[in-house]
Amino acid sequence: MIETKHLRKEFGGKVAVEDLSLTIPRGRVTGLLGLNGAGKTTTIKILATLLRPTSGTVTVGGLDPGNTPHAVRRRINLIAGGERMVYARMTGRENLWYFGQLYDVPGKLLKTRIGELLELVGLTAAAGTRVEQYSRGMTQRLSIARGLINDPDYLLLDEPTLGLDAPIARDLRKVVAELAERGKGVLLTSHYLAEVEQLCEHVYVIGDGRHLAEGTPGELMAQTGCHRRVRITVSELTPEVEAAALAFDDRVRIAPQADEHGTGAVIELSHPGDVAGALTTAVIAAGGAPSGLEIAEPSLEDAILALSDRSVAVVA
Amino acid sequence: MNRLAGRGPAGGAEGRTAGDAARHAVKVFRAEALKQHRQIFGSKLVVFSMLIWPLLTLVQTYYTLHPLAATPGIAARWPLAADPERLLAFLATGTLGFTFFFSLVQSAWHFSMERQNGTLELLFLAPASRLAVVVANGFGALVQNAWLFACFSVAMFTLLDVVNVAHPGMYAVVFLAMLVPAVAWGAFLNSLLIFSRDAAFLYTLLDDPMWFASGVRLPTFALPGWLRAAGSVLPLTGSLVVVRGALLDGQGIADLAWPLVWLAGLSGALLLAAAGALKAGEARAQRTGQLRLF
Amino acid sequence: MTVAFATLRRSWLVTRRAYPWSYFVGTLLTGAFTMGLAYLGLRAIGGDQVSAEFAGKAGTADYLGYVAVGAAAYMFVVHGILWTGKAMIQEQREGTLGALVVAPARRLPYLLGFAMFAFTAVAVEVAVLLGCAALLGVRPAATGVLDAVLAVAGLALAVFGMSVVLSDVMIVAGEAHITQNTVFYAIAILSGFTFPRNYLPEAFQWLGELVPVTPAMDVVRGVFTGGAGLPLDRLGVTVLVSLAYTAAGLFAMPWAERRAMERSY
Repeated sequence: MIETKHLRKEFGGKVAVEDLSLTIPRGRVTGLLGLNGAGKTTTIKILATLLRPTSGTVTVGGLDPGNTPHAVRRRINLIAGGERMVYARMTGRENLWYFGQLYDVPGKLLKTRIGELLELVGLTAAAGTRVEQYSRGMTQRLSIARGLINDPDYLLLDEPTLGLDAPIARDLRKVVAELAERGKGVLLTSHYLAEVEQLCEHVYVIGDGRHLAEGTPGELMAQTGCHRRVRITVSELTPEVEAAALAFDDRVRIAPQADEHGTGAVIELSHPGDVAGALTTAVIAAGGAPSGLEIAEPSLEDAILALSDRSVAVVA
Repeated sequence: MNRLAGRGPAGGAEGRTAGDAARHAVKVFRAEALKQHRQIFGSKLVVFSMLIWPLLTLVQTYYTLHPLAATPGIAARWPLAADPERLLAFLATGTLGFTFFFSLVQSAWHFSMERQNGTLELLFLAPASRLAVVVANGFGALVQNAWLFACFSVAMFTLLDVVNVAHPGMYAVVFLAMLVPAVAWGAFLNSLLIFSRDAAFLYTLLDDPMWFASGVRLPTFALPGWLRAAGSVLPLTGSLVVVRGALLDGQGIADLAWPLVWLAGLSGALLLAAAGALKAGEARAQRTGQLRLF
Repeated sequence: MTVAFATLRRSWLVTRRAYPWSYFVGTLLTGAFTMGLAYLGLRAIGGDQVSAEFAGKAGTADYLGYVAVGAAAYMFVVHGILWTGKAMIQEQREGTLGALVVAPARRLPYLLGFAMFAFTAVAVEVAVLLGCAALLGVRPAATGVLDAVLAVAGLALAVFGMSVVLSDVMIVAGEAHITQNTVFYAIAILSGFTFPRNYLPEAFQWLGELVPVTPAMDVVRGVFTGGAGLPLDRLGVTVLVSLAYTAAGLFAMPWAERRAMERSY
């Protein structure tokens, strides 16, 4: 596994990562979340040997990247989304071959692997086309194949689906899950929290380079006290309905909504319990006529937002 | 998904055998040279910058210097220039050498784009010898770029009938005296320019001063002493001494021994400097996150 | 004129920020080294003499002065074209060509703005270069103030005409590097900057007549080299050819812009 202990990285006095201890075991997808500038990319680059920590330790499968960088590099790879990190004048196949040589993949094995990877990312038909003629999505798929060229034990994914078409992103998520099933250690950062929620068994949340929370997505939601959101739309907001809703719970928020009659409103409540039925009953009892009812389960996004709000409060 | 074929090379310890490391370096070399081939081959720019522009420069230089060569007493001052064809051949060797070496400046400038394109990080991510990459990149550029003008020069020498060679083996000496220092020079520039903040500036700086100080368009005896000293650290200067001595003046190995030793030493020093710059640049990148050294 | 001044001001602001010294040094080096070559060559190869053939063809035996005037003029031409001729493709690269095409501003004042900027910047650079020449003992003298003004104006007009045409070529080709350098290398041979044009085979001498800087250089030579005075006939040719270039370039510009826009989408 990859293990970091008390990782700290500063750039010219500015601290990017502080006292960060992570464990990325093989066989599962580990998530790394935070807001922009939280230190995710710095952390990933340290794990990828591109940056050296100011203090603290990193071990990759028991090896220290500081002492044996090449041995570590053979076992890891990095896929960063949204960047065109392949050579435009070469074909897709040539790009993979080139990186295969850099990773010293034996010739015969490389040939088979390139075929499989092209198949995997759906570029078999375009394998002989120069990358400059690829679409953005194709280029990115190629860079995903590139990240797998050395069949790494550990795969670091920095926003891998950024800018990908929805079906491709879905396929990629499937691949990531399968790679983990096959025993690879995957670290994933993503803006798409649904993606993290779906893939990651364990998630680290960082803010300002510090560890904020960790756990399964479910645990994180529980820790942050994220609530279900109930939204009831009524076509006419009478004073009675308003009073009844506020009497039900003083956290209820009511937003007038201009529909064709000009009298509608949305009654909204965030609550840890299952209150949708009771609130609706109260509204109807006061003479309200609900035209819509929505219940939103809490998401990882809510948890992250709550955590980062909290961390801002702590820092402030 | 299909299972990926086999395991890669067993993770292995850092202490691979020297043989393994050398074998890998050869693979990297081949791959990088092929990459250069793909990047450059068939580009219109090569035809212009390696054939048309040098030819035009040659014509201009010849006509500019012609009024000076056709003067009384030239045979005493510079015997070679007394014969217009030999003067042209002198300038052509200079242009050839300059094209050879400047193509590496150009390719180093292109290589520095890898930093901006993000592919440099990918190179640093891989367990490949960095020195092998920069050496191969220079070599690839050279083969791609200079063959055109080299063919032209051979044709011209044959037509002008000015070649005076002591021994057929000297052609090989000429070839190596151009190639080896040029590749070392290319590796040095690659490693320098990828970490340079203003690669365009270095590029400019190595254009005109290089032809001026290396004796591309003037015999070195025409240069003042300080300029000759400055020019001698450019490998192009030594290469031209060997090329002109062997092709135009019929000098043999014994006559050219010192320039050859100097060139070999200079090439070694350039490679060492390249390795040093790569190490320092990568270490700095790991420390500061910035792929810039200069 | 508003457009011209706005363009001039913008170029100045952008340049001051984006191109500190490397640009200036680069253009200066070419000129300085050309003169250095002539100086050292004259000492070591020519033994401080120049062939009688040169004196006959150039109208002067002052080799250094001849090359210095040529190098300064060459710098003037190259830099003028780099600024004015590349203005449009620069817009294309920065993605602002579309905005320019849509804007109701006319092209002529726009390009004139660039030219005004270019000639201000180049004047400074040529002055520095001539300063270097002075260090080598070169003292180019004009046959008269009015002659000098007309000669420089003629060269500027020639540069402007070529720039308008090159603007079209560059945005249609979507490329500047090959075009500009090929033009620079070609005029270095054809237009009589560092050696008299009549050294060239006759066919090439006629080829030179197709480029407006060739007659303009004849005017410059008459005024600054040899003291023959302003050749009015060559000045007339300069004006005619330059205006023809300008007119043709402006006439083709809408077409070139359309092509450029189609290519980029």
